[in-house]
Amino acid sequence: MKTAPLSESMPARPTPGPMPPWTFPAAEPGRLGNGLATLHSDLPDRRLAAVRLVLDAGAGREPAGLDGVANLTASALLEGTEAGGGTTLTAAFDRLGATLNAGADLTALRIALDVPVTRLADALALLSSVIRSPALADADVRRLARERLEEIAQDDADPHSRARRELRAVMFPADSRSSRPTGGDPDTVGRITGADVRAFYSSIVPAQATVVAAGDLAGIDVEALLGTALGDFATTGSALPAPDMARPGPGPRMVIVHRPGAVQTQLSFGHGVPGRDHPDWAALAVAAHVLGGGLSSRLNALLREEKGYTYGMRAALLRLRHCGIFIAEAAVHTEATAPAVADSLTSLRSVLDGITDKECASTISALADRAPANYETARAVAAELADAAASDLPIDHPQRHLDAIRATTPQRAAEAYAAHVKPDELTIVAVGDADQIRDPLAELGFAEVEVVAPEG
Amino acid sequence: MAERPLHEHTLGNGLRVVVCEDHVVPLAAVNLWYAVGSRHEQPGRTGLAHLFEHLMFQGSGNVAEGEHAALMESAGAAFNATTSFERTNYFETVPVSHLELALWLEADRMGTLPAALTQVNLDNQRDVVKNERRQRYDNVPYGDAFEHLCALTFPSGHPYAHTPIGSMEDLDATTLDDCRDFFATWYAPGNAVLSIVGDVDPEETLALVERFFGHLPAGAAVPGAADGRLGPISKLTTRHVTADVPSPGYFGMLRLPADGTHELEAAELATEILGGGSGSRLYDRLVRRDEIATELGASVIRFVDGPSAALIQAMGPDTEAIAAAIDEELEAFAANGPDEDEAVRAVALAERGFLESTETVTGLANSLSQQATQFGDPARVFSAPARAAAVTSADIQNVAARWLAPGARAVVTYGAAE
Repeated sequence: MKTAPLSESMPARPTPGPMPPWTFPAAEPGRLGNGLATLHSDLPDRRLAAVRLVLDAGAGREPAGLDGVANLTASALLEGTEAGGGTTLTAAFDRLGATLNAGADLTALRIALDVPVTRLADALALLSSVIRSPALADADVRRLARERLEEIAQDDADPHSRARRELRAVMFPADSRSSRPTGGDPDTVGRITGADVRAFYSSIVPAQATVVAAGDLAGIDVEALLGTALGDFATTGSALPAPDMARPGPGPRMVIVHRPGAVQTQLSFGHGVPGRDHPDWAALAVAAHVLGGGLSSRLNALLREEKGYTYGMRAALLRLRHCGIFIAEAAVHTEATAPAVADSLTSLRSVLDGITDKECASTISALADRAPANYETARAVAAELADAAASDLPIDHPQRHLDAIRATTPQRAAEAYAAHVKPDELTIVAVGDADQIRDPLAELGFAEVEVVAPEG
Repeated sequence: MAERPLHEHTLGNGLRVVVCEDHVVPLAAVNLWYAVGSRHEQPGRTGLAHLFEHLMFQGSGNVAEGEHAALMESAGAAFNATTSFERTNYFETVPVSHLELALWLEADRMGTLPAALTQVNLDNQRDVVKNERRQRYDNVPYGDAFEHLCALTFPSGHPYAHTPIGSMEDLDATTLDDCRDFFATWYAPGNAVLSIVGDVDPEETLALVERFFGHLPAGAAVPGAADGRLGPISKLTTRHVTADVPSPGYFGMLRLPADGTHELEAAELATEILGGGSGSRLYDRLVRRDEIATELGASVIRFVDGPSAALIQAMGPDTEAIAAAIDEELEAFAANGPDEDEAVRAVALAERGFLESTETVTGLANSLSQQATQFGDPARVFSAPARAAAVTSADIQNVAARWLAPGARAVVTYGAAE
């Protein structure tokens, strides 16, 4: 880095003092009569309250042949408590200035309620009616399935989501749920009926669920409100299959998803790593951030700031319930595809030679000292607590993770990366124009190049 | 966030400063609005305001290349910048221990940026921006819809007729001298507002600002802006884009009154009622009841020095059926206005939107800069819910009849060749 001379009139650069102390907001655990776990976190002055309900009914627990039923169940919940109710439920939340959202990923079916804290009780009463007696009507499910088919087509046309889908498809064992799209494919979604959705919903077990409430809860008996709203929610159906626990397998792989005429290639580099309960998780997170966490990370310094191949590259750990995925991603100019892959591989191997003290210190700040800003809202706090619960992690996991980040040394981060990420066993997905990028990518000699069709 | 006392001050060189205490979290948000955006660009140099924003991260008189990002990252800062039609904003939220450093960095680039401008940096960031354009607009389905709509909604040469990303040709043509001139013309203390929100002492903070920014020369007065005022769009203009898209798409844009008027507050509520979410009229009609669209949304883009705009987008196989249904709903809305419940809901959602946009120190600092820059009154942030609540059903109906009439809008459709 060049050092510029000090301009005369500019005062000297200040030297910052020590970082102010901060800890992740505390949460009070409880349990309702039906076994549903509760957590509340009182956050003074946060006038927008957040309620997050995580149900152990993610796509990883879908019955065979019904890929996408978790996602459709989540969407159908938002249609309300009466068949053909139309806008009734949404209007009721709107009147409170509240929103209800629901979605499913591999880990959980997640329901999110945001509301000004003064109207929390009214909004919880509405949520209660949805959870106790959703309509999940045939006509709504049929229409939502049609909308889902459209979303699948849109996702596949988007280079980034298409690359993510291919990465999972080739990294996970072919018969595992994790290898297939979370929201299902056109075949499975096309055959899901209202009865399937109702059966799936009826199998959800309250004792495997957690509800989190966060916000300025002073003077509110949250546990009582939650008990009234959710305390008699019960299972009536048969048990869902056990969650998919398949782990990603090693590469090397190089897969091109052919997108004729694409002016950019979307690149995804993936490698399986242990889950968040593993002692190396924080050190791996530090290594990933050194590679692609910010503008001054190794990948961005090289591919963006030096070469101009991309608007930006990112490396991070994806959090699945039972494992993680180290991922590095960028959209690069088509002509720069092979050089960008070569440069990326150079960077991805460079961590094996070590991480500098400065890189490590900077990363610890970027990950841990940024936490107060990351968790400033009730929404962010509630979502993090709920996610830990959904992944069977202890409620103090968010703070423990930050502590582990701070305790990471350069040696520890480099060793964790070397132990869990083999650069020569990466899976590389390139969504781009195969006619232009196939030969240059093959010449890199990383792995045999396979080309698949975009809808494949 | 409830209304809080604001500490305002204008430095001798014209820099306006707003400080607001918020001691809940040990953070300080720094937000700097420069009143320059793509609407100030000259013909042949579209994209310059945004490209210049990138160059602001490439070093300045006392900051080496890459050092701004490195210092902010190692401070645990959330930082970035964005360029819009009317302004460019720079912001960083830092642990309060690093407020001084953040202010110093902003002052250094406000005062000494040209010292670090080099052809190598320009060429590199030009490549980065061209890849940004490819990634966000050229390589995704419907990615250029907004660009088409602005070109159809505003007459050629109008300040809002081109979007901030600019054209590849103009980006290629931009020279170092263009960048130096751009800085000299627009990046003056008097053309900026600096807001600081967080765990700070107002007097100490104002003293810091004076120390770091006070010595910067005022610079020349900025040129006057072109008059962008226009009435409602008067006719239907349609452009079809033949593209390999997953399904046909329908994108419509209408003009709305300028920001800062009671009429725009009414138009915002009207747009919310028509297409703001799954409880809205258009969503219920097109997606839920007629099933002619699988997605629908409407939103407002606020402009101060010209008409604002409403954007309506829908996905569905028959774009003519979509257009006809939108027209029917617009006609009914203009004729009868909202029912009482719709108006109540829209006001509740507006209040909620206010809470969301101001609940973080980052969001509040940006809102303060915006209101100070555009209306000379940062405290206007706090009256947003009251402004929405003051709108009557009759106001909504009147504004819809004038600005959201059926059969008059800019339209871009995507699909197979017609």
